[in-house]
Amino acid sequence: MGRYVIRRLLQALLTLGIVLFLLHYLMALSVQIRGNPALLFFGGDRAPDPAMLEQVERLYGLDSPCYERVGDPCLLPFVDRLQGFAQGDLGTTLNGNRDVAQLLSVYIPNTLRLFVFSVITLVVVSMLLGTWAARHRGRFIDHTVRGTTILADSVPVFLILLTYVYIAAVPLTRWARGIWGSESFMGQVFRPNYNPDYPWTTIIIPGIIVGTVGLATMTRLIRASQLENLGSDFVRTARAKGLKPMRITIVHVIRNSMIPIITGVGFLFAFMLSGAVLTEGVMGIPGMGRMIFQAVQRQEGNLVIVGLTVSAFVVVFVSLVVDLLYAALDPRIRYE
Amino acid sequence: MSELTAPVPAAERQASLWSDALRTMIRRPDVIIAGLVLLLVFTMAAFPGLFTDKDPTVCRGREAKLRPDTWFTGDHPLGTDAFGCDFAATLVHGTRPTIVLALTVIIVSVAVGLVLGIYAGYYGGWLDTLISRALDVFIVIPMLMGAILILSLFRGRVSADTLFETIAAPALALSLFGWMEFCRYTRAATLETKNLDYVVAAKCLGASDRRIMFKHILPNAIVPVTAVVPTTIGGIIVTEAALAVLGIGVQPPATSWGVLLSKGTEWAGGGYVYLFAWPLGLLVLTVFAFATFGDALRDALDPKLR
Amino acid sequence: MAETIRVIGDTLPGADLNAPLLEVDDLRVEFQVRGKRVPAVRGASFTLERGRTLAVVGESGSGKSVTSQAVMGILDTPPGHITGGAVRLHGVDLLDKDEETRRTIRGNHIAIVFQDALSALNPLWSVGFQIGELFRVHRGTGRKEARRRAVELLDLVGIPDAANRVGDYPHQFSGGMRQRVMIAMALALDPEVLIADEPTTALDVTVQAQIMRLLKRIQAERNMGLILITHDLGVVADVADDVAVMYAGEVVERAGIREVFKRPAHPYTKALLRAIPRVDAVGRELEVIGGLPPNPASLPSGCPFHPRCFAAEDKCAAEVPPWLEPAENHGSRCHFAQEVYTDER
Repeated sequence: MGRYVIRRLLQALLTLGIVLFLLHYLMALSVQIRGNPALLFFGGDRAPDPAMLEQVERLYGLDSPCYERVGDPCLLPFVDRLQGFAQGDLGTTLNGNRDVAQLLSVYIPNTLRLFVFSVITLVVVSMLLGTWAARHRGRFIDHTVRGTTILADSVPVFLILLTYVYIAAVPLTRWARGIWGSESFMGQVFRPNYNPDYPWTTIIIPGIIVGTVGLATMTRLIRASQLENLGSDFVRTARAKGLKPMRITIVHVIRNSMIPIITGVGFLFAFMLSGAVLTEGVMGIPGMGRMIFQAVQRQEGNLVIVGLTVSAFVVVFVSLVVDLLYAALDPRIRYE
Repeated sequence: MSELTAPVPAAERQASLWSDALRTMIRRPDVIIAGLVLLLVFTMAAFPGLFTDKDPTVCRGREAKLRPDTWFTGDHPLGTDAFGCDFAATLVHGTRPTIVLALTVIIVSVAVGLVLGIYAGYYGGWLDTLISRALDVFIVIPMLMGAILILSLFRGRVSADTLFETIAAPALALSLFGWMEFCRYTRAATLETKNLDYVVAAKCLGASDRRIMFKHILPNAIVPVTAVVPTTIGGIIVTEAALAVLGIGVQPPATSWGVLLSKGTEWAGGGYVYLFAWPLGLLVLTVFAFATFGDALRDALDPKLR
Repeated sequence: MAETIRVIGDTLPGADLNAPLLEVDDLRVEFQVRGKRVPAVRGASFTLERGRTLAVVGESGSGKSVTSQAVMGILDTPPGHITGGAVRLHGVDLLDKDEETRRTIRGNHIAIVFQDALSALNPLWSVGFQIGELFRVHRGTGRKEARRRAVELLDLVGIPDAANRVGDYPHQFSGGMRQRVMIAMALALDPEVLIADEPTTALDVTVQAQIMRLLKRIQAERNMGLILITHDLGVVADVADDVAVMYAGEVVERAGIREVFKRPAHPYTKALLRAIPRVDAVGRELEVIGGLPPNPASLPSGCPFHPRCFAAEDKCAAEVPPWLEPAENHGSRCHFAQEVYTDER
């Protein structure tokens, strides 16, 4: 077990290292091909004073001569960047010159809050629907559940969100405030945008909407595993042992169904990250997603890279946790 | 017992698998409806002239923002947009870039994934290590994120004169982060197949590596890959729309459903909901059709859990 | 013994210890398949006494496994439904009892060993946990004590180094050892009736013999009633006391094992016996039963065996044969039971 964990950890570190280098190389290439993003600091197209430009270049670590040579991997700045990362220095934004590390300390909790609601929505809804469909296998309910989840999955998250924001949010909020008042939970929950005074309440609806990402996949997985477990020989054995139905479900079905659920969440997490980019952008939630959204629109390469590094870190971490959970849940892969 | 049964050639088994799958599929009404929707969309992409006689680039300012009050009749069956262009024509002509983009990405992704997966699985060793590591690295970055990265780092002015120039950048970015799933499935199927009796037999008879890979192993590997293709096409169309909303996908003045959607959101709030609703409806319908088709295909190819 | 009586009195009011241990009387089970009702068991009857072994023999699809599941009360409902008959334990009809009573009887009084131990054991729990579960659920035993009992049981069924293997998982055992674990689990609460549903079919021939011997030994030690369900008459020849032969969902012949081997009274049994390879028949071609087992959804008219029967006459296709007894304790559902018995056919 210990050796397996260590091997998986080293593998994850190696992957992250390669991802970091790749991101750095792409950015260097972009600077080499398109020219200096430090110019953005001065805004507009007019050429700034060379001395000042040099100063700004140094500030953003773009003063290395390697940025002049197309194809140069810029190893020295890469080492600098890694050292900076290790010391918690993630650079500053070109727009407004703010410390990125500080921004992250605000943004990451917001995105995590969003994911709490998304994952809960995804797991609860797909569990209910998957179980329901499995009990009515091949009948009308089964087909309806399948069709509905596929439809929900076919509508892109940001379009559900846009539709909600433009069409449903305002009348719902007005209606709710008329009954419960604007400071109540209900008065805030339907808001079309994020309100920092209600960091949990106003994130519920976007969280639920992001949770529909992969609903069809997840429901399908759960339906399949339920069918497999309900009809399995070991459940029949458990019944022959005279166990109560409740105990059979808890001890013999749920644990066996956990594996596909964990796989599904691990697999869909990366897609939820993508969903968060547009969701946070549209709803104005100050999180990692909006940071990437804005960085793209303001052409801040460094910010895009930091954002993607965090996202890559999260994906690697989640897949590591998934693998370790497998090992904990299924003795058959414990010592591999 | 096993030495008595002659290994059934891959081609024969595959043939019956595919024809069985086809037979199951065409009996399902949802598949037929999805197929009709896809046929309509593909026709729209191939022959836009069949659906509209207007030129989407001919716009008259004084006809701007005409609501489609004269449903499906009159000069502008779906009204006009903010610049006075016929909206039906814009919509129809926006289909081709969307569909061509999605098909390009899927073809490139599947081809790359199949080749890398087969080579990795068949030869093993350092080649497998290298490809598997690349797989690990790329899979960490979701398709949308990867495309965002590439497109925002290398954004430049692109002329939108030809279809190729319109879709080249997003197609490249999406393909770069789209091949991993196919590679993984192919590699797994290759590992499974390469030790089967009929492959070993072919090897003993002196078949070349390439012949074994593409004649004997590929037909097996292609089954799990095919099962996820339609759903993935839907995903690509959605991702294209997201990129367009972010402003880094297909660049206006060229049109795609994504571009229409991103423009439509600006007008939907102001009461011109049809500018948002039509591209939305068309996109959702298409993606839904692809997903339904894919779901049925997966069931047909793996009948165990129907 | 005293404890057992008390427990029966608790769970089975009205239990009569003079009545047969287990009596299956005209049991009928139907399955709902695509809106149609298909009979799987069409009147199975047999009796099991304490300390005896009954072999239920039949081809796959003859309803023998469904019968055992109906007796256990673990039939999948739907699609399966018990439509008639009785299953009496100590004279008390179990089919009248509510599910909660039946649940306490399972494991406590009747236990079952399934064919494929690999899939019948939950892969995610240790064998010790799965055996101990019975003590913890039915007897309220603590975790430690349950584990100790599990070790004892594993030891009893001949698993070497039981104390160390009790924490192992099913996949870590060989096929034969896994089946021993299954048997240990079934024996945990000292049941009076043990049903073994094709317990050796998935095993190697040498291991088959070991498992059979184990079952026989334990049955004798504990004076249990044992029902051996099998498709192979040869396997049960030296373990069983009585035989019930099933065909198309009904018992077609019932007798002591020697009787059946010496003088079968049903053409189907006769054909089955001829299909057993024999050392004294080397060089002769093995006989097979022509045709296929009937489709339960559309059974042949009259005697369901008549299309494959070497002794069939017009009468067989027209009339359902009665239950005849050519000798004492030897019954057969054949128009010509007497003639077959006396080898005139």
